[in-house]
Amino acid sequence: MRQQDFTRRTLMTMTGAAALAAGLPAGRAQAAGPLKLWTIGIAKVGAKDWSAMEKQAGIEIAYNAKSARADEAIQKMVVGDGNKLYDAMSDNGGGMEDALASQKVITELDVSRIPNWKNILPVYNEGGAAADTIRYEGKVVCVPYISNADSLAYNHSVIGSDLTSWEALFDSQFKGRAAMQNDFGPTLTNTAIYLKQSGQQDIEDPSNMTPAEVKGVCQFLIDKKKAGQFRTFWDGFQNGVDLLASEEVLVSSCWEPVQIVAGKKSGKDIRYGTMKEGHQTWNNMFMLTNGGKERGQEDAFYSLMNVYLSPWFGARTLSTFGFAPQMVGVNEYVEAHPQDFDAATKATIAERLANKQARYEVAGNSWQNVFPTHIRDYQDWWARVQAA
Amino acid sequence: MSSAEKQAPGRSNAAAGEPEGVLVPRLQSAAFVLPVTFMVVFFALPVALTAVWSVFERTMFWMEPGFTLFAYENFFTSARLINFLASMYHSFISVVICLILGFPIAVFVRRRIPQVAQHRVVLLFILPFMVSEIIRIFALRPILQRNGLVNETLMNLGLISEPITAILYTPTGVVIGEVLSFLPFVVFSGFLAMEAVPKYIFEVCDDLGAGPYRTFKDVILPLAAPGIFAGSVFIFVNGIGVALLPNTLGGPGAVNAGLIATQAITALDFPLAMAVSAIMMGTLMLLLYIGHRLFNLTHILDPIS
Repeated sequence: MRQQDFTRRTLMTMTGAAALAAGLPAGRAQAAGPLKLWTIGIAKVGAKDWSAMEKQAGIEIAYNAKSARADEAIQKMVVGDGNKLYDAMSDNGGGMEDALASQKVITELDVSRIPNWKNILPVYNEGGAAADTIRYEGKVVCVPYISNADSLAYNHSVIGSDLTSWEALFDSQFKGRAAMQNDFGPTLTNTAIYLKQSGQQDIEDPSNMTPAEVKGVCQFLIDKKKAGQFRTFWDGFQNGVDLLASEEVLVSSCWEPVQIVAGKKSGKDIRYGTMKEGHQTWNNMFMLTNGGKERGQEDAFYSLMNVYLSPWFGARTLSTFGFAPQMVGVNEYVEAHPQDFDAATKATIAERLANKQARYEVAGNSWQNVFPTHIRDYQDWWARVQAA
Repeated sequence: MSSAEKQAPGRSNAAAGEPEGVLVPRLQSAAFVLPVTFMVVFFALPVALTAVWSVFERTMFWMEPGFTLFAYENFFTSARLINFLASMYHSFISVVICLILGFPIAVFVRRRIPQVAQHRVVLLFILPFMVSEIIRIFALRPILQRNGLVNETLMNLGLISEPITAILYTPTGVVIGEVLSFLPFVVFSGFLAMEAVPKYIFEVCDDLGAGPYRTFKDVILPLAAPGIFAGSVFIFVNGIGVALLPNTLGGPGAVNAGLIATQAITALDFPLAMAVSAIMMGTLMLLLYIGHRLFNLTHILDPIS
């Protein structure tokens, strides 16, 4: 969902790079050939193509562009012949790993073969929702490489103060100047977090609501929509950026890269707040396909995963896209490599890390859930929000 | 075996010095077999599968064979029907506006432009298609948005004091986008339709003292009706199907029929997506049938004798 348009924008360069990688003389290729990677364009850092990632991992990568839509992964990997096509793939944690592992698409991982596994954020080994996102039936099947706690972006230049509550998104002072994402998953979850934590509605789990809770959340949105609160719902990265950058909207619940690019594009002080009620948290992870394992790509896969869990990657994905690194020691790494990070980048990294920590510490956070139990109710009520 | 035996005499004839006599009919039949195969594999089969899959049972990730009308029941008893009808309504408005703007252009080209230049003038309307549709649609935003060209101009002229927000992220915005995208199709089909109206008819009308209105209503319109209808159907289909338009220019959660199906697929609700597609196809076939009964579409390209 969230990375779709990044992929589109960079598709041309990516395809070129993949073609180049595929066209390298056979003598240079490993026995099993390049690692056929099905992922999104923003999974790489360091260069416009995959060369920096290849150099760090010491492997060759054949990149295949992927959208982040759940149906694409399911259709290709469960229904189609994705296991023949790809050695490794990425997708959302908190749902997709269970779906793919239960369908025998991906394989269990031996984390002892990833030296940097010792650096992984402690939360992944402490049990609970985060730890569940990389496991299926208690076994590790994924390596997380980016995550975030999505929040509210707001135009500080116009508003003149900091926003710390989702209340702003639904407040009549921003009537007609507010936007949410055109996707029932994040939009209903964020609204549910707000309604639950502000005591307006009884919601047990904003990530997995009962039909009655879905109804309550959607009726709230329908009332707000009818009152003219929302300018529009944004769909796709560029769309989200444009709404904020053009000042068509002043507040928008969106991904952090949207806020970063909108700020750069407009030259305005567009900030990403910490919401006291909580945020929808998510991660994206890499998985080794059964086909990849059969083709002897385990070594190459683990080499690449070692890069994803290195501060080399963490510092760069944070400074480039604003995604949270999945390992400890990023600040130390940045300090130790002054030649790679100028003062401004260093400050950005430190600031974003601190903001992320603040967001992650809010008690009301809820994990993204790709397949809520009552997804039919989510769909049907979302249609009513659309029709309102 | 038998077919090979049947072919054998043909080959010997060819060898005997009549290659063209055999080759040409074969090429001719191949020229028909190829498109027929193409249409069966890529059109008829998917259409049939769409209908079949729409009654399958939904599973968590895909669907399994069965027979249930749940997807249809869900469509007709949920807000999707309202969304679907709204998208048809907006698409219909776009068709009307396209006709009002586009058909006079076609008539003008046919009547006033010298015969030799007519096709070239019509070709000018292809030029916008050289630019990607995404860019054309996205470019409407800096023009129509709150601080866009239209609002800035009107405010600078002192005609308005507050920016007009009704022209973007509203159904109006979607209709503007549809008209921009599909106007050339009315010009094309209108021009083709006008080829069914011989030029001397204008002179005859003039000679008989029919005014422009009567000429249009009683002569041009009936003659050009099949072509106009064909163009209208084309616009209507695209209006309810192209997801980009409501996504980029529509209000909060704006959808058309195409988006309803896409969003069902995103939620892994394949039977519902298939049902929406089947309903779309059914609606369009019904429209075509009505159009055919009214205008006899087989006469679209008939020359007037």
